[in-house]
Amino acid sequence: MPSFELPLVLIAILAGTLAVTSAGRGAWVAIALLALTSSALEFSIADPNHISLILRLSAIGIGLAAALPENLFEREALRRDLALGTLVRTLRDHPVVVASAVAGLLLGLVPLALPIESSSDALRAAGIALLVVGLPPLLTSRFIEATTRAAVVTLSGTLLLRTSIFGALDPLGALAIAAGFTCILVVGGSVATRISNAEEER
Amino acid sequence: MTEVGTLTAIRALFPVLAALSSLALVPLIRLWRGSERDDAAAYATFGVQLLLLATSVGAALAGAGYLSTLKVGQITIDPSEPGRLLVLLGGIVFAVIVGAGEGRRAGTMGQIALFGIAAIDLALAIPSGIAPIALLLFASLGISGTAASGKDDVGRARAVFRDLRTVSLLLPAVVIAEILRTAISYAAVDASYATPASLAAGTALGVSLVLIAAAGVFPFHGRLIKIFEALPIVGSLLVGVWIPSALALIVMSELSALASSITDPLGGAIVPGILLAGAATLIFGAVSALLHDDIGEIVGFMAVANSGWLALAAAAALQSPTDTSSRLIVLPGMLTISLFGLWLVSVRRRYGTTSIRELGGWARRTSANGIALIAAIVALAALPPGAVLAARLNLLLLGGNPLIAIFAVIGQVTLIVAAIRLLLVGFTPQSQTVHEAETRPFANLITISLVAGSLFVAAAAAGWLALESGGTGPLPPAPSVSPAASFDPVPSSEPSIEPTPSVSASPEVSPDVSPSGSGEISPAP
Repeated sequence: MPSFELPLVLIAILAGTLAVTSAGRGAWVAIALLALTSSALEFSIADPNHISLILRLSAIGIGLAAALPENLFEREALRRDLALGTLVRTLRDHPVVVASAVAGLLLGLVPLALPIESSSDALRAAGIALLVVGLPPLLTSRFIEATTRAAVVTLSGTLLLRTSIFGALDPLGALAIAAGFTCILVVGGSVATRISNAEEER
Repeated sequence: MTEVGTLTAIRALFPVLAALSSLALVPLIRLWRGSERDDAAAYATFGVQLLLLATSVGAALAGAGYLSTLKVGQITIDPSEPGRLLVLLGGIVFAVIVGAGEGRRAGTMGQIALFGIAAIDLALAIPSGIAPIALLLFASLGISGTAASGKDDVGRARAVFRDLRTVSLLLPAVVIAEILRTAISYAAVDASYATPASLAAGTALGVSLVLIAAAGVFPFHGRLIKIFEALPIVGSLLVGVWIPSALALIVMSELSALASSITDPLGGAIVPGILLAGAATLIFGAVSALLHDDIGEIVGFMAVANSGWLALAAAAALQSPTDTSSRLIVLPGMLTISLFGLWLVSVRRRYGTTSIRELGGWARRTSANGIALIAAIVALAALPPGAVLAARLNLLLLGGNPLIAIFAVIGQVTLIVAAIRLLLVGFTPQSQTVHEAETRPFANLITISLVAGSLFVAAAAAGWLALESGGTGPLPPAPSVSPAASFDPVPSSEPSIEPTPSVSASPEVSPDVSPSGSGEISPAP
């Protein structure tokens, strides 16, 4: 697993950055990718029977199924939104977020005068980078879907940072957090639908 | 699983099982009565009320003893005395509120109440750490989302959105507090870390922030007011009062353990900051309650003022970790606000308005509501003087700041005046709205349960029944978790003090502080 750690970390950070900078299809696919990679990083080593990993992925899967907007899987639109050029253009249009992700990655690699100095470097860097990318939109965004995605990015970063120091969550903690991911996605999706319905009626 | 194991599991998880059974009960009742018939909702409400009361009785019978402690592998669910007490009282309070609320969605509100008190019981039964706090925060989000789901109301949706943002921000605060707390034990043996007192201050700040934001302490009061404006009363009480109060019990337990583990005063201005926030919240909530003319908003501001007491209690837990006054005021506060909620829902149901201007003479027209409000005022004033009032005064003394104490007293008196104003409106000449409203005879089940429930809850809140001492019981202790494989702390390259397990290495830290992978600290003897 350690050999896959670095690529997974980079994919998680890239997915987190795209999740808060893209709109529509690209962002939701990025969230799904982030969930997969961050869960794999969080539970890969410490949990030999992978129950917590399965639980987390199932919870996020359920949450995403409830929160995904309609017509997400239209093939042409999906291909267009996920084209490499589109993704690069999205990142180029948000230089501050990209710079934040890189800064978070570098900051995470530097040991601080806390017990985290001996924690897993890669996980810590991924955690801090995702926190730095996710927190600003979580605090400031007025768009519900964007805030929901930022909440998932922030929570994933927080848990990676925690895992880098304390190891994977205990079973009850894993259950509570898995339920939390579902809750954030389902409630975020339902609030977005309700507000758009109310605005349409108005 | 053996018979004993099954019984233990039922005892440990009784409120959760009752909540889950409601998912089957309500559809079955609707199927039986036929969803088109008018009485289907009434039967569903009645069924859920019975389930709430059964949960209450079941939790009281199961208790918090060793017979109710469930162990499955690494998982331990050890119901606590405060948790079981909250279920006991919560079942009764919400059964009465659901009955008084009536209506098409009353059954759903009862189900929400069942899940809310089950989440509280479970959280207070899990050994301290990230799990119980995460459980309560996410339960709060889920409840607000479900309670708001009845109609496409932008105000409700925005209140839930605000909740989502708050919950998502608080989890990182908990984790950062956990990391800092772990560092305290290393600061005892390695001078390259910050001092134990400053690390403890950082931990206290992180943990207190969770309480302050979740409970709606100034400057986070806006969330609480929006919740009371937008959500139905069962959702408002659970998300705005009951879950934050349960969270307060966990936070105070953590703060007490933290303060016990260091001998130096906490660094920074944490305690004065929390005290100031508490007093400001109390004054702000009370004055706002006095100045507003909408009873929904008034009850919301009363909840804000109550959260001020929670902040003062958190500061007292840091100042004097062994004193139980801080945990003694949690239960009466939540019961008092619930009584006001009960009165609010009953008046709103009867007269269809929440404006004071249109409610002139309400107490003369519906005396049962008058009795409910008088009971709430008695609970608010904690009369006759007893353990609850003594605990509040003790908190102010523990705070050690006369100015804060004076502000808190003024705030509480203003709050009582605001409540008396509501009662006086009830004795003015009847308004057109009140005059034209349909009332029911005093001798019917809903009215009798409203009066009896109000008197019982007021007695518990004012300290007549001496139930409140159950809220000070211990919560399940923190587990001893092994450090992660990757977590192998090493001393810094130039340690000024040799790392040694001996206490003498650092006179600042009490002997029981030991490194732990979970970041837990054992309290000093």
